[in-house]
Amino acid sequence: MTLLLDIISTAAILFIVAAGLLAIFGVLKIINFAHGAWLTVGAYCAVVTTELGLNPWFALPLAFILGALLGGLTERFIVRPLYRRPLDAILATWGLGIVIGQLITLWFGRDVHFTTALMQGTVDVLGTSYSFYRLFAVLAALAIGLGFAFLLDGTRLGLSAQAVIMNEALARALGIDTEKVRLATFMAGAGLAALAGVLLAPMTSVDPNMGVPWLTGAFMLVMVAGTSFGALAVACLLFGAAQVVVSTFLSPILGGITVAVLCAITLRIRPKWFARA
Amino acid sequence: MSDAAKLQLNGISSGYGAVDVINEVTLSVRSGEIFALMGKNGMGKTTLLKSILGLIKLTRGSVAVDEKSIAGRKPSELIACGIGYAPQEQPLFQDLSIRDNLRLALTSDRKLAAAQERVYGYFPFLKERLSQKAGTLSGGEQKMLILARALMLQPKLLLIDEISEGLQPSVVSKIADVLKHEAASNGTTILLVEQNLDFALSIADRWAVLKLGAIDDQDTNGPDSRSRVLQHLKI
Repeated sequence: MTLLLDIISTAAILFIVAAGLLAIFGVLKIINFAHGAWLTVGAYCAVVTTELGLNPWFALPLAFILGALLGGLTERFIVRPLYRRPLDAILATWGLGIVIGQLITLWFGRDVHFTTALMQGTVDVLGTSYSFYRLFAVLAALAIGLGFAFLLDGTRLGLSAQAVIMNEALARALGIDTEKVRLATFMAGAGLAALAGVLLAPMTSVDPNMGVPWLTGAFMLVMVAGTSFGALAVACLLFGAAQVVVSTFLSPILGGITVAVLCAITLRIRPKWFARA
Repeated sequence: MSDAAKLQLNGISSGYGAVDVINEVTLSVRSGEIFALMGKNGMGKTTLLKSILGLIKLTRGSVAVDEKSIAGRKPSELIACGIGYAPQEQPLFQDLSIRDNLRLALTSDRKLAAAQERVYGYFPFLKERLSQKAGTLSGGEQKMLILARALMLQPKLLLIDEISEGLQPSVVSKIADVLKHEAASNGTTILLVEQNLDFALSIADRWAVLKLGAIDDQDTNGPDSRSRVLQHLKI
Protein backbone atom coordinates (compact mmCIF):
# COMPACT_ATOMS: atom_id res chain seq x y z
CA MET A 1 0.00 0.00 0.00
CA THR A 2 2.82 2.37 0.88
CA LEU A 3 4.41 1.68 -2.51
CA LEU A 4 1.14 2.50 -4.30
CA LEU A 5 0.73 5.74 -2.34
CA ASP A 6 4.36 6.64 -3.05
CA ILE A 7 3.76 6.09 -6.76
CA ILE A 8 0.63 8.25 -6.79
CA SER A 9 2.16 11.05 -4.74
CA THR A 10 5.40 11.03 -6.77
CA ALA A 11 3.37 11.25 -9.99
CA ALA A 12 1.43 14.13 -8.46
CA ILE A 13 4.62 15.99 -7.58
CA LEU A 14 6.05 15.47 -11.08
CA PHE A 15 2.78 16.75 -12.56
CA ILE A 16 2.78 19.85 -10.36
CA VAL A 17 6.33 20.69 -11.44
CA ALA A 18 5.81 19.98 -15.16
CA ALA A 19 2.32 21.49 -15.66
CA GLY A 20 3.52 25.09 -15.95
CA LEU A 21 6.30 24.12 -18.32
CA LEU A 22 3.84 22.26 -20.54
CA ALA A 23 1.41 25.20 -20.61
CA ILE A 24 4.18 27.49 -21.85
CA PHE A 25 5.47 24.93 -24.34
CA GLY A 26 1.97 24.33 -25.71
CA VAL A 27 1.14 27.95 -26.40
CA LEU A 28 4.54 29.56 -27.00
CA LYS A 29 6.28 26.58 -28.63
CA ILE A 30 9.40 27.22 -26.56
CA ILE A 31 10.86 25.43 -23.57
CA ASN A 32 11.24 27.87 -20.71
CA PHE A 33 14.55 26.84 -19.17
CA ALA A 34 14.05 29.41 -16.43
CA HIS A 35 11.28 27.12 -15.10
CA GLY A 36 13.62 25.61 -12.50
CA ALA A 37 14.58 29.10 -11.36
CA TRP A 38 10.93 30.10 -10.88
CA LEU A 39 10.47 26.94 -8.86
CA THR A 40 13.44 27.97 -6.69
CA VAL A 41 11.97 31.46 -6.26
CA GLY A 42 8.77 29.84 -5.01
CA ALA A 43 10.68 27.65 -2.56
CA TYR A 44 12.44 30.74 -1.19
CA CYS A 45 9.04 32.38 -0.69
CA ALA A 46 8.38 29.46 1.68
CA VAL A 47 11.81 30.07 3.32
CA VAL A 48 10.98 33.76 3.84
CA THR A 49 7.58 33.07 5.38
CA THR A 50 9.19 30.46 7.65
CA GLU A 51 11.98 32.80 8.74
CA LEU A 52 9.55 35.66 9.35
CA GLY A 53 7.34 33.35 11.37
CA LEU A 54 4.35 33.92 9.09
CA ASN A 55 1.62 31.42 8.39
CA PRO A 56 3.23 28.96 5.93
CA TRP A 57 0.09 29.00 3.73
CA PHE A 58 0.86 32.65 2.97
CA ALA A 59 3.76 31.42 0.81
CA LEU A 60 1.35 29.95 -1.77
CA PRO A 61 -0.29 33.18 -3.02
CA LEU A 62 2.98 35.09 -2.50
CA ALA A 63 4.89 32.65 -4.72
CA PHE A 64 2.21 32.50 -7.39
CA ILE A 65 1.91 36.27 -7.66
CA LEU A 66 5.68 36.84 -7.58
CA GLY A 67 6.26 34.06 -10.13
CA ALA A 68 3.53 35.40 -12.43
CA LEU A 69 4.89 38.96 -12.23
CA LEU A 70 8.47 37.88 -12.92
CA GLY A 71 7.18 35.60 -15.68
CA GLY A 72 5.29 38.50 -17.23
CA LEU A 73 8.42 40.66 -17.24
CA THR A 74 10.42 37.78 -18.73
CA GLU A 75 7.91 37.22 -21.52
CA ARG A 76 7.66 40.91 -22.37
CA PHE A 77 11.33 41.83 -22.35
CA ILE A 78 13.27 38.60 -22.99
CA VAL A 79 11.11 36.00 -24.70
CA ARG A 80 8.83 38.12 -26.93
CA PRO A 81 11.64 39.55 -29.08
CA LEU A 82 12.88 35.99 -29.63
CA TYR A 83 9.66 34.24 -30.72
CA ARG A 84 10.97 33.81 -34.25
CA ARG A 85 14.27 32.46 -32.89
CA PRO A 86 13.21 29.62 -30.55
CA LEU A 87 16.76 28.35 -30.02
CA ASP A 88 17.84 31.81 -28.88
CA ALA A 89 14.79 31.94 -26.61
CA ILE A 90 15.86 28.67 -25.00
CA LEU A 91 19.38 30.01 -24.46
CA ALA A 92 18.02 33.28 -23.08
CA THR A 93 15.77 31.53 -20.56
CA TRP A 94 18.63 29.20 -19.61
CA GLY A 95 20.82 32.25 -18.99
CA LEU A 96 18.04 33.92 -17.04
CA GLY A 97 17.80 30.84 -14.84
CA ILE A 98 21.52 31.14 -14.04
CA VAL A 99 21.16 34.84 -13.25
CA ILE A 100 18.21 34.19 -10.91
CA GLY A 101 20.18 31.40 -9.19
CA GLN A 102 23.11 33.77 -8.62
CA LEU A 103 20.85 36.54 -7.33
CA ILE A 104 19.27 34.11 -4.87
CA THR A 105 22.79 33.06 -3.78
CA LEU A 106 23.76 36.71 -3.25
CA TRP A 107 20.68 37.34 -1.13
CA PHE A 108 20.35 34.09 0.83
CA GLY A 109 23.80 32.51 0.52
CA ARG A 110 24.61 28.95 -0.50
CA ASP A 111 23.33 27.42 2.74
CA VAL A 112 20.58 24.88 2.67
CA HIS A 113 17.28 26.07 4.14
CA PHE A 114 14.34 24.19 5.54
CA THR A 115 10.75 25.32 5.66
CA THR A 116 7.71 24.70 7.80
CA ALA A 117 5.37 22.12 6.30
CA LEU A 118 1.97 23.40 5.28
CA MET A 119 0.53 20.47 7.20
CA GLN A 120 2.10 17.80 9.36
CA GLY A 121 1.44 14.32 10.64
CA THR A 122 0.19 11.14 9.09
CA VAL A 123 -3.16 9.81 8.05
CA ASP A 124 -4.43 6.24 7.98
CA VAL A 125 -5.13 4.97 4.45
CA LEU A 126 -6.60 1.46 4.43
CA GLY A 127 -4.54 0.49 7.44
CA THR A 128 -1.37 2.19 6.25
CA SER A 129 -0.05 5.26 8.00
CA TYR A 130 0.99 7.76 5.34
CA SER A 131 2.29 11.34 5.18
CA PHE A 132 -0.61 13.77 5.26
CA TYR A 133 1.46 16.27 3.27
CA ARG A 134 2.20 13.87 0.38
CA LEU A 135 -1.53 13.15 0.12
CA PHE A 136 -2.12 16.88 0.08
CA ALA A 137 0.29 17.04 -2.89
CA VAL A 138 -1.98 14.56 -4.71
CA LEU A 139 -4.97 16.80 -4.05
CA ALA A 140 -2.98 19.82 -5.22
CA ALA A 141 -2.07 18.02 -8.46
CA LEU A 142 -5.72 17.10 -9.01
CA ALA A 143 -6.74 20.70 -8.36
CA ILE A 144 -4.13 21.97 -10.84
CA GLY A 145 -5.17 19.40 -13.44
CA LEU A 146 -8.87 20.16 -13.04
CA GLY A 147 -8.09 23.88 -12.97
CA PHE A 148 -6.32 23.62 -16.31
CA ALA A 149 -9.14 21.47 -17.71
CA PHE A 150 -11.67 24.11 -16.66
CA LEU A 151 -9.48 26.94 -17.96
CA LEU A 152 -9.02 25.27 -21.35
CA ASP A 153 -12.56 23.99 -21.86
CA GLY A 154 -14.62 26.44 -19.85
CA THR A 155 -13.22 29.90 -20.48
CA ARG A 156 -12.63 32.23 -23.42
CA LEU A 157 -8.95 32.51 -22.52
CA GLY A 158 -8.68 28.72 -22.62
CA LEU A 159 -10.42 28.53 -25.97
CA SER A 160 -8.09 31.20 -27.34
CA ALA A 161 -5.10 29.32 -25.92
CA GLN A 162 -6.28 26.12 -27.61
CA ALA A 163 -6.64 28.02 -30.88
CA VAL A 164 -3.09 29.37 -30.55
CA ILE A 165 -1.78 25.89 -29.72
CA MET A 166 -3.51 24.32 -32.74
CA ASN A 167 -2.94 26.97 -35.37
CA GLU A 168 -1.49 30.32 -34.35
CA ALA A 169 -1.62 31.82 -37.84
CA LEU A 170 -5.36 31.15 -38.07
CA ALA A 171 -5.91 32.40 -34.52
CA ARG A 172 -4.28 35.70 -35.48
CA ALA A 173 -6.28 35.90 -38.69
CA LEU A 174 -9.50 35.51 -36.69
CA GLY A 175 -8.60 38.43 -34.48
CA ILE A 176 -7.32 36.62 -31.40
CA ASP A 177 -4.73 38.78 -29.68
CA THR A 178 -2.05 36.11 -29.62
CA GLU A 179 0.40 38.37 -27.77
CA LYS A 180 -2.01 38.63 -24.82
CA VAL A 181 -2.61 34.88 -24.86
CA ARG A 182 1.15 34.24 -24.82
CA LEU A 183 1.69 36.73 -21.97
CA ALA A 184 -1.15 35.29 -19.88
CA THR A 185 0.10 31.75 -20.46
CA PHE A 186 3.70 32.61 -19.58
CA MET A 187 2.55 34.35 -16.39
CA ALA A 188 0.39 31.37 -15.43
CA GLY A 189 3.20 28.91 -16.21
CA ALA A 190 5.79 30.85 -14.19
CA GLY A 191 3.31 31.34 -11.33
CA LEU A 192 2.62 27.64 -11.31
CA ALA A 193 6.34 26.84 -11.23
CA ALA A 194 6.75 29.08 -8.17
CA LEU A 195 3.73 27.43 -6.58
CA ALA A 196 5.36 24.05 -7.17
CA GLY A 197 8.45 25.37 -5.37
CA VAL A 198 6.39 26.15 -2.25
CA LEU A 199 4.78 22.72 -2.32
CA LEU A 200 8.13 20.96 -2.80
CA ALA A 201 10.03 22.94 -0.17
CA PRO A 202 8.86 20.98 2.91
CA MET A 203 9.69 17.66 1.20
CA THR A 204 13.24 18.58 0.29
CA SER A 205 15.94 21.03 1.24
CA VAL A 206 15.96 24.47 -0.34
CA ASP A 207 19.11 25.79 -2.02
CA PRO A 208 19.78 28.12 -4.98
CA ASN A 209 20.22 25.22 -7.41
CA MET A 210 17.31 23.06 -6.27
CA GLY A 211 15.37 23.78 -9.47
CA VAL A 212 17.91 22.24 -11.85
CA PRO A 213 17.11 18.53 -11.34
CA TRP A 214 13.39 19.24 -11.28
CA LEU A 215 13.74 21.18 -14.54
CA THR A 216 15.47 18.22 -16.18
CA GLY A 217 12.72 15.78 -15.24
CA ALA A 218 9.93 18.21 -16.15
CA PHE A 219 11.58 18.99 -19.49
CA MET A 220 11.79 15.32 -20.42
CA LEU A 221 8.19 14.69 -19.36
CA VAL A 222 6.94 17.61 -21.46
CA MET A 223 8.91 16.37 -24.47
CA VAL A 224 7.17 13.03 -24.11
CA ALA A 225 3.68 14.45 -23.44
CA GLY A 226 3.67 17.07 -26.19
CA THR A 227 0.95 19.63 -25.54
CA SER A 228 -1.58 17.43 -23.76
CA PHE A 229 -2.21 17.66 -20.01
CA GLY A 230 -3.83 14.22 -20.12
CA ALA A 231 -0.70 12.75 -21.71
CA LEU A 232 1.41 14.55 -19.10
CA ALA A 233 -0.63 13.01 -16.29
CA VAL A 234 -0.22 9.51 -17.78
CA ALA A 235 3.53 10.06 -18.33
CA CYS A 236 3.95 11.27 -14.74
CA LEU A 237 2.10 8.23 -13.43
CA LEU A 238 4.06 5.67 -15.48
CA PHE A 239 7.52 7.19 -15.15
CA GLY A 240 6.87 8.25 -11.55
CA ALA A 241 5.97 4.63 -10.79
CA ALA A 242 9.21 3.47 -12.37
CA GLN A 243 11.15 6.03 -10.32
CA VAL A 244 9.58 4.84 -7.07
CA VAL A 245 10.16 1.16 -7.90
CA VAL A 246 13.80 1.74 -8.86
CA SER A 247 14.41 3.93 -5.79
CA THR A 248 12.78 1.41 -3.46
CA PHE A 249 14.23 -1.84 -4.79
CA LEU A 250 17.51 -0.81 -6.45
CA SER A 251 18.98 2.52 -5.51
CA PRO A 252 17.65 6.01 -4.79
CA ILE A 253 20.47 7.41 -6.93
CA LEU A 254 19.35 5.34 -9.92
CA GLY A 255 15.77 6.32 -9.10
CA GLY A 256 16.74 9.96 -9.47
CA ILE A 257 17.64 9.47 -13.11
CA THR A 258 14.89 6.99 -13.99
CA VAL A 259 12.39 9.53 -15.33
CA ALA A 260 14.95 11.20 -17.59
CA VAL A 261 16.31 7.90 -18.91
CA LEU A 262 12.86 6.39 -19.62
CA CYS A 263 11.70 9.59 -21.29
CA ALA A 264 14.80 9.60 -23.49
CA ILE A 265 14.17 5.96 -24.48
CA THR A 266 10.49 6.72 -25.20
CA LEU A 267 11.43 9.70 -27.35
CA ARG A 268 13.89 7.52 -29.26
CA ILE A 269 11.46 4.65 -29.88
CA ARG A 270 7.96 6.19 -29.98
CA PRO A 271 8.25 9.99 -29.90
CA LYS A 272 4.51 10.64 -30.42
CA TRP A 273 3.16 7.72 -28.46
CA PHE A 274 1.98 9.57 -25.36
CA ALA A 275 0.58 12.53 -27.23
CA ARG A 276 -1.41 10.20 -29.50
CA ALA A 277 -2.60 8.07 -26.60
CA MET B 1 -24.30 50.09 -53.10
CA SER B 2 -22.67 53.52 -52.93
CA ASP B 3 -19.75 55.06 -54.82
CA ALA B 4 -17.84 55.70 -51.60
CA ALA B 5 -14.81 53.44 -51.21
CA LYS B 6 -15.17 50.98 -48.36
CA LEU B 7 -11.68 49.63 -48.98
CA GLN B 8 -8.93 51.58 -50.68
CA LEU B 9 -5.50 50.16 -51.50
CA ASN B 10 -3.02 52.85 -52.47
CA GLY B 11 0.05 51.51 -54.25
CA ILE B 12 0.64 48.71 -51.77
CA SER B 13 3.60 46.36 -52.01
CA SER B 14 4.27 43.44 -49.71
CA GLY B 15 5.82 40.02 -49.66
CA TYR B 16 8.01 37.59 -47.80
CA GLY B 17 11.54 38.53 -46.75
CA ALA B 18 13.21 40.74 -49.32
CA VAL B 19 10.92 39.68 -52.17
CA ASP B 20 7.76 41.66 -52.91
CA VAL B 21 4.92 39.42 -54.10
CA ILE B 22 2.50 42.34 -54.41
CA ASN B 23 3.76 45.26 -56.47
CA GLU B 24 2.16 48.69 -56.07
CA VAL B 25 -1.45 47.56 -56.21
CA THR B 26 -4.04 50.30 -56.24
CA LEU B 27 -7.62 49.15 -55.89
CA SER B 28 -10.90 50.60 -54.70
CA VAL B 29 -13.79 48.47 -53.46
CA ARG B 30 -17.04 50.39 -53.12
CA SER B 31 -19.30 50.16 -50.14
CA GLY B 32 -21.81 47.32 -50.47
CA GLU B 33 -20.39 45.79 -53.64
CA ILE B 34 -19.04 42.34 -54.36
CA PHE B 35 -15.62 42.71 -55.93
CA ALA B 36 -14.02 39.62 -57.50
CA LEU B 37 -10.25 39.50 -57.61
CA MET B 38 -9.12 36.73 -59.90
CA GLY B 39 -5.81 35.29 -60.93
CA LYS B 40 -3.90 32.09 -61.37
CA ASN B 41 -2.04 30.31 -58.58
CA GLY B 42 0.97 32.16 -57.23
CA MET B 43 -0.07 35.59 -58.50
CA GLY B 44 -0.35 37.07 -55.02
CA LYS B 45 -4.09 36.93 -54.29
CA THR B 46 -3.78 35.41 -50.81
CA THR B 47 -0.81 37.65 -50.01
CA LEU B 48 -2.94 40.67 -50.91
CA LEU B 49 -5.70 39.65 -48.50
CA LYS B 50 -3.19 38.96 -45.74
CA SER B 51 -1.60 42.37 -46.36
CA ILE B 52 -4.96 44.10 -45.97
CA LEU B 53 -5.49 42.31 -42.64
CA GLY B 54 -2.03 43.22 -41.38
CA LEU B 55 -0.90 39.61 -41.31
CA ILE B 56 1.90 40.57 -43.73
CA LYS B 57 3.59 43.94 -43.40
CA LEU B 58 3.40 46.42 -46.24
CA THR B 59 6.71 47.52 -47.72
CA ARG B 60 5.06 50.43 -49.56
CA GLY B 61 1.68 52.11 -49.86
CA SER B 62 -1.30 52.27 -47.55
CA VAL B 63 -4.66 50.64 -46.87
CA ALA B 64 -7.73 52.61 -45.85
CA VAL B 65 -11.14 51.42 -44.68
CA ASP B 66 -13.89 54.04 -44.76
CA GLU B 67 -11.20 56.55 -45.75
CA LYS B 68 -9.26 55.94 -42.53
CA SER B 69 -5.79 54.45 -42.73
CA ILE B 70 -5.46 51.10 -40.99
CA ALA B 71 -1.66 51.04 -41.24
CA GLY B 72 0.05 49.46 -38.25
CA ARG B 73 -3.15 48.17 -36.66
CA LYS B 74 -3.13 44.65 -35.33
CA PRO B 75 -5.34 41.99 -36.99
CA SER B 76 -7.31 41.70 -33.73
CA GLU B 77 -8.17 45.42 -33.92
CA LEU B 78 -9.20 45.19 -37.58
CA ILE B 79 -11.43 42.18 -36.98
CA ALA B 80 -13.01 43.98 -34.02
CA CYS B 81 -13.70 46.94 -36.35
CA GLY B 82 -15.87 44.74 -38.55
CA ILE B 83 -13.56 43.07 -41.06
CA GLY B 84 -14.40 39.41 -41.59
CA TYR B 85 -11.99 36.92 -43.09
CA ALA B 86 -12.55 33.48 -44.59
CA PRO B 87 -9.05 32.10 -45.19
CA GLN B 88 -8.06 29.41 -47.65
CA GLU B 89 -5.03 27.90 -45.93
CA GLN B 90 -5.71 25.69 -42.86
CA PRO B 91 -8.96 27.56 -42.35
CA LEU B 92 -10.49 25.61 -39.44
CA PHE B 93 -9.46 24.33 -36.04
CA GLN B 94 -9.96 20.71 -37.00
CA ASP B 95 -9.95 19.31 -33.46
CA LEU B 96 -12.39 21.87 -32.09
CA SER B 97 -16.16 21.52 -32.32
CA ILE B 98 -18.34 23.51 -34.70
CA ARG B 99 -19.53 25.48 -31.67
CA ASP B 100 -15.99 26.44 -30.62
CA ASN B 101 -14.98 27.33 -34.18
CA LEU B 102 -17.95 29.70 -34.29
CA ARG B 103 -17.19 31.08 -30.81
CA LEU B 104 -13.69 32.00 -31.91
CA ALA B 105 -15.14 34.54 -34.33
CA LEU B 106 -16.30 36.66 -31.38
CA THR B 107 -14.32 38.22 -28.57
CA SER B 108 -16.94 37.34 -25.95
CA ASP B 109 -19.89 34.98 -25.62
CA ARG B 110 -22.37 37.77 -24.92
CA LYS B 111 -23.53 38.05 -28.52
CA LEU B 112 -22.92 34.40 -29.34
CA ALA B 113 -26.54 33.22 -29.37
CA ALA B 114 -27.72 36.00 -31.68
CA ALA B 115 -24.76 35.58 -34.03
CA GLN B 116 -25.27 31.82 -34.16
CA GLU B 117 -28.97 32.19 -34.95
CA ARG B 118 -28.06 34.50 -37.82
CA VAL B 119 -25.70 32.02 -39.46
CA TYR B 120 -28.06 29.07 -38.79
CA GLY B 121 -30.44 30.90 -41.13
CA TYR B 122 -27.91 30.34 -43.90
CA PHE B 123 -26.56 26.95 -42.85
CA PRO B 124 -29.13 25.08 -40.70
CA PHE B 125 -26.99 21.91 -40.45
CA LEU B 126 -24.60 23.74 -38.10
CA LYS B 127 -27.26 23.99 -35.38
CA GLU B 128 -27.84 20.25 -35.33
CA ARG B 129 -24.16 19.31 -35.19
CA LEU B 130 -22.66 21.87 -32.84
CA SER B 131 -20.64 19.30 -30.89
CA GLN B 132 -19.16 17.65 -33.98
CA LYS B 133 -15.46 18.27 -34.60
CA ALA B 134 -14.83 20.52 -37.56
CA GLY B 135 -12.30 18.09 -39.00
CA THR B 136 -14.98 15.43 -39.42
CA LEU B 137 -17.18 17.58 -41.68
CA SER B 138 -17.22 17.03 -45.45
CA GLY B 139 -15.27 19.45 -47.65
CA GLY B 140 -18.40 21.41 -48.56
CA GLU B 141 -19.60 21.58 -44.95
CA GLN B 142 -16.19 22.82 -43.86
CA LYS B 143 -16.36 25.63 -46.41
CA MET B 144 -19.82 26.57 -45.16
CA LEU B 145 -18.51 26.60 -41.59
CA ILE B 146 -15.63 28.87 -42.65
CA LEU B 147 -18.09 31.29 -44.22
CA ALA B 148 -20.49 31.04 -41.27
CA ARG B 149 -17.65 31.89 -38.87
CA ALA B 150 -16.70 34.91 -40.96
CA LEU B 151 -20.33 36.08 -40.92
CA MET B 152 -20.71 35.70 -37.13
CA LEU B 153 -19.42 39.22 -36.56
CA GLN B 154 -21.83 40.63 -39.16
CA PRO B 155 -18.83 42.21 -40.86
CA LYS B 156 -18.97 45.43 -42.81
CA LEU B 157 -16.12 44.23 -45.01
CA LEU B 158 -15.66 40.56 -45.81
CA LEU B 159 -12.46 39.14 -47.30
CA ILE B 160 -12.92 35.68 -48.81
CA ASP B 161 -10.09 33.52 -50.12
CA GLU B 162 -11.01 30.89 -52.72
CA ILE B 163 -14.06 29.59 -50.89
CA SER B 164 -15.29 27.59 -53.91
CA GLU B 165 -12.12 25.56 -54.39
CA GLY B 166 -12.88 21.84 -54.80
CA LEU B 167 -16.61 22.16 -54.13
CA GLN B 168 -19.48 20.58 -56.00
CA PRO B 169 -21.73 22.99 -57.95
CA SER B 170 -24.66 22.77 -55.52
CA VAL B 171 -22.49 23.96 -52.62
CA VAL B 172 -20.95 26.71 -54.75
CA SER B 173 -24.45 27.83 -55.67
CA LYS B 174 -25.48 27.86 -51.99
CA ILE B 175 -22.46 29.97 -51.07
CA ALA B 176 -23.18 32.35 -53.94
CA ASP B 177 -26.73 32.83 -52.65
CA VAL B 178 -25.47 33.55 -49.13
CA LEU B 179 -22.95 36.14 -50.33
CA LYS B 180 -25.50 37.88 -52.55
CA HIS B 181 -27.95 37.98 -49.66
CA GLU B 182 -25.33 39.38 -47.26
CA ALA B 183 -24.38 42.15 -49.67
CA ALA B 184 -27.98 43.02 -50.52
CA SER B 185 -29.58 42.81 -47.07
CA ASN B 186 -26.76 43.93 -44.79
CA GLY B 187 -24.76 46.12 -47.14
CA THR B 188 -21.70 43.94 -46.59
CA THR B 189 -18.80 44.82 -48.85
CA ILE B 190 -17.17 41.66 -50.17
CA LEU B 191 -13.71 41.23 -51.65
CA LEU B 192 -13.81 37.79 -53.20
CA VAL B 193 -10.54 36.21 -54.24
CA GLU B 194 -11.29 33.41 -56.70
CA GLN B 195 -10.04 31.17 -59.47
CA ASN B 196 -13.54 29.92 -60.29
CA LEU B 197 -14.56 32.47 -62.90
CA ASP B 198 -18.14 31.27 -63.30
CA PHE B 199 -18.81 31.51 -59.58
CA ALA B 200 -17.04 34.85 -59.14
CA LEU B 201 -18.64 36.52 -62.14
CA SER B 202 -22.08 35.17 -61.23
CA ILE B 203 -22.18 37.39 -58.15
CA ALA B 204 -19.59 40.16 -58.66
CA ASP B 205 -20.47 43.78 -59.34
CA ARG B 206 -16.91 44.50 -60.47
CA TRP B 207 -13.78 42.46 -61.04
CA ALA B 208 -10.03 42.71 -61.40
CA VAL B 209 -7.30 40.32 -62.54
CA LEU B 210 -4.11 40.04 -60.53
CA LYS B 211 -1.07 38.95 -62.51
CA LEU B 212 2.43 38.69 -61.04
CA GLY B 213 1.40 40.79 -58.07
CA ALA B 214 -0.06 43.68 -60.07
CA ILE B 215 -3.53 44.57 -61.33
CA ASP B 216 -3.63 43.54 -64.99
CA ASP B 217 -7.17 44.68 -65.76
CA GLN B 218 -10.36 45.67 -63.96
CA ASP B 219 -13.87 46.63 -64.92
CA THR B 220 -17.55 46.50 -64.07
CA ASN B 221 -19.04 43.03 -64.52
CA GLY B 222 -20.73 42.71 -67.92
CA PRO B 223 -21.39 40.32 -70.80
CA ASP B 224 -17.80 40.35 -72.06
CA SER B 225 -16.18 40.01 -68.63
CA ARG B 226 -15.64 36.26 -68.84
CA SER B 227 -13.76 36.38 -72.13
CA ARG B 228 -11.66 39.33 -70.98
CA VAL B 229 -10.72 37.65 -67.72
CA LEU B 230 -9.89 34.43 -69.58
CA GLN B 231 -7.59 36.33 -71.90
CA HIS B 232 -5.70 37.76 -68.96
CA LEU B 233 -5.40 34.38 -67.30
CA LYS B 234 -3.69 32.87 -70.34
CA ILE B 235 0.07 32.66 -69.93
